[in-house]
Amino acid sequence: MMKNRFLGILLCCMALLPAFGQGAFSFKINEVVTSNAAGLVDEYGDRSGWIEIANTSWGTNNIRSCYLTTNRAALNPELSAPERIRLMSLIPKGDSRTNLTAKQNIVFFADGHTNRGTLHTNFCLNVGEENFIALFDGNGVTLLDSVTVPPLAENQSFARVYNGATESYEWIVMEPDNVTPGSPNAGQGKVQDKIAEFKEKDPYGVAMSVMAMAIVFSCLILLYVFFRLFGYIVSLMAAMTRVRAIRAIRNKAHQASVMAKQGLETKGIDMEVYMAVIAMALKEYEENVHDVESNVLTLQPDEHTEWNAKDNAMREWPKLY
Amino acid sequence: MLMDTLDFIGAKLLDFLAYTGFANAELGNWIMILVGAFFLFLAIKKDFEPLLLIPIGLGIILGNIPFKAVGLEVGLYEDNSVLNIFYQGVKLGWYPPLIFLGIGAMTDFSALIANPKLLLVGAAAQFGIFGAYMIALAMGFEPNQAAGIAIIGGADGPTAIFLSSKLSPNLMGAIAVCAYSYMALVPLIQPPLMRLLTTKQERLIRMKPARQVSQTEKIIFPIVGLLLTTFVVPSGLPLLGMLFFGNLLKESTKTTRLAKTAGNALNDIIVMLLGLTVGCSTQASEFLTKDTVLIFFLGALAFIIATASGVLFVKFFNLFLPKGKKINPLIGNAGVSAVPMAARISQNLGLEYDSKNYLLMHAMGPNVAGVIGSAVAAGVLLGFLS
Repeated sequence: MMKNRFLGILLCCMALLPAFGQGAFSFKINEVVTSNAAGLVDEYGDRSGWIEIANTSWGTNNIRSCYLTTNRAALNPELSAPERIRLMSLIPKGDSRTNLTAKQNIVFFADGHTNRGTLHTNFCLNVGEENFIALFDGNGVTLLDSVTVPPLAENQSFARVYNGATESYEWIVMEPDNVTPGSPNAGQGKVQDKIAEFKEKDPYGVAMSVMAMAIVFSCLILLYVFFRLFGYIVSLMAAMTRVRAIRAIRNKAHQASVMAKQGLETKGIDMEVYMAVIAMALKEYEENVHDVESNVLTLQPDEHTEWNAKDNAMREWPKLY
Repeated sequence: MLMDTLDFIGAKLLDFLAYTGFANAELGNWIMILVGAFFLFLAIKKDFEPLLLIPIGLGIILGNIPFKAVGLEVGLYEDNSVLNIFYQGVKLGWYPPLIFLGIGAMTDFSALIANPKLLLVGAAAQFGIFGAYMIALAMGFEPNQAAGIAIIGGADGPTAIFLSSKLSPNLMGAIAVCAYSYMALVPLIQPPLMRLLTTKQERLIRMKPARQVSQTEKIIFPIVGLLLTTFVVPSGLPLLGMLFFGNLLKESTKTTRLAKTAGNALNDIIVMLLGLTVGCSTQASEFLTKDTVLIFFLGALAFIIATASGVLFVKFFNLFLPKGKKINPLIGNAGVSAVPMAARISQNLGLEYDSKNYLLMHAMGPNVAGVIGSAVAAGVLLGFLS
């Protein structure tokens, strides 16, 4: 019982792990504009600072019920969850736009007008000053991502971009021409970059062919080496088994001959008795007769049978009325 | 009153006529219907891979029945239509791994395990893919499109569909039909090349019978194969994972029922749906383009290069093998993964020159190695370009 319970708890934990790892933690603050004078316009035709959040995973995740805040006090561990939540702006449920497909971005207007819809926060960003922005999970306690935005000029953004040299993400200030609300930032469109890179650096496909053939060959050579060695070991083991069997037979034959000799010479057993014993043994061997039954069912069907299938024993419950 | 009714009936009949296929047909539709009928002729009358060509041929006809698109949700490219739902397996690339599951459950890797050097023949034949890739680039295709087209050289329909759905979805219909068509035409494409590239003396080489393979080796093969190939090329995971999973179901001897389902019922269902929807995707407006003609041309080249690479590699390999262990180059063609057609061709050609030289079991080695090789090649292309 305890064992089953332990197994159940273990399975539940394992089921929760991927959900936790690939869910809310996939959201990252991606780009921020604090002073929006000539950029993105909201549904009401107004301009305000905005925060872009990216779903960095390859799966669909919903950002509803998460919280955005600019208040550092929300990080205070001494505050209870409800106290922290009071310092944050809720991303409401019930709007399909919060359901972000793989690598999709969403923009929230930091205009202090939550009555204008899902994509508006209850706080504003400070123009020309440093801004702290944090994204919290639905429990109001787990910090998903945070960034401190330096003072930005008009229409500039602070963006998270991929640095190919260091193979990591870093934050840089983007000039107004490179601001990309709702889209990947420069350096994030890696798929197109890869194709463009191959087109530029390998226009005839020679490098691709050499690399790919080398990989295909190395993969199959690995398999070749393994099965060559494994086949050799298996053959060796088979040969050793044969040798052991031959040795055992020889030993038995030797023992039998010694016993027969002793019997005939020292114990005075008649040769005819030996002949009879050997003949009986041969007969039993040839007719496959044996007198010891193990009580174990040794019948092996050639194909799968349903004779003991559990589902065959299941029947509809009889109706009681 | 009567006149009004007659007018009404007349107007409605005219409306109805405007919706019929006859009113909406264009020349392209008729051409494609004829192509579909030709595929059916090849499959039924000439016995050219009927399991592939009958679903594809009828699919081509089905996909080219013209109709007025007024939101009836009947066409392949209309959201929520039945055909569109079936097509998701092709579009999102989940039919090919299921086909690989079936292939794994049906394939006996004994020939390969007994003589693992034949793996290298399967690897060499993949040069067809990359030869075609280079030619496609030279003809002006983008690298991702060139990769989608070049995979036709792997002679593996599911792999071609899987890769093109990821890298060049707009060319997928043409690539899939091209791959399956050439697979059906393997008996016409390969033998002349094999004769051209080998001498009579080479064709008469007799190979030693393969050693007996133990059940333990057969069980170890899919597990180790999966680990070694997917650790090197994780992007090939969907295809290789399902291939080796299917094979383990078969070889474990404990899941015979599952292996039978994967190899028979499930595989047949997917083949039907895949063939039909691939055929349907060749609607005249999408299919009758210059790109399609180029794809068919490149596909043929890819097949030719792949076959030649396999045969020539065996000849090269023979230079290093002792006299009694030489490989008959007629099994080199089987390095393309058209299982088991390519191996059957080796057998037939071998028997043509020596009525007692049975090459089938030897050819199955490179043939199944080709399946692994083309899946690895697809994974490599996917890894580099996506």
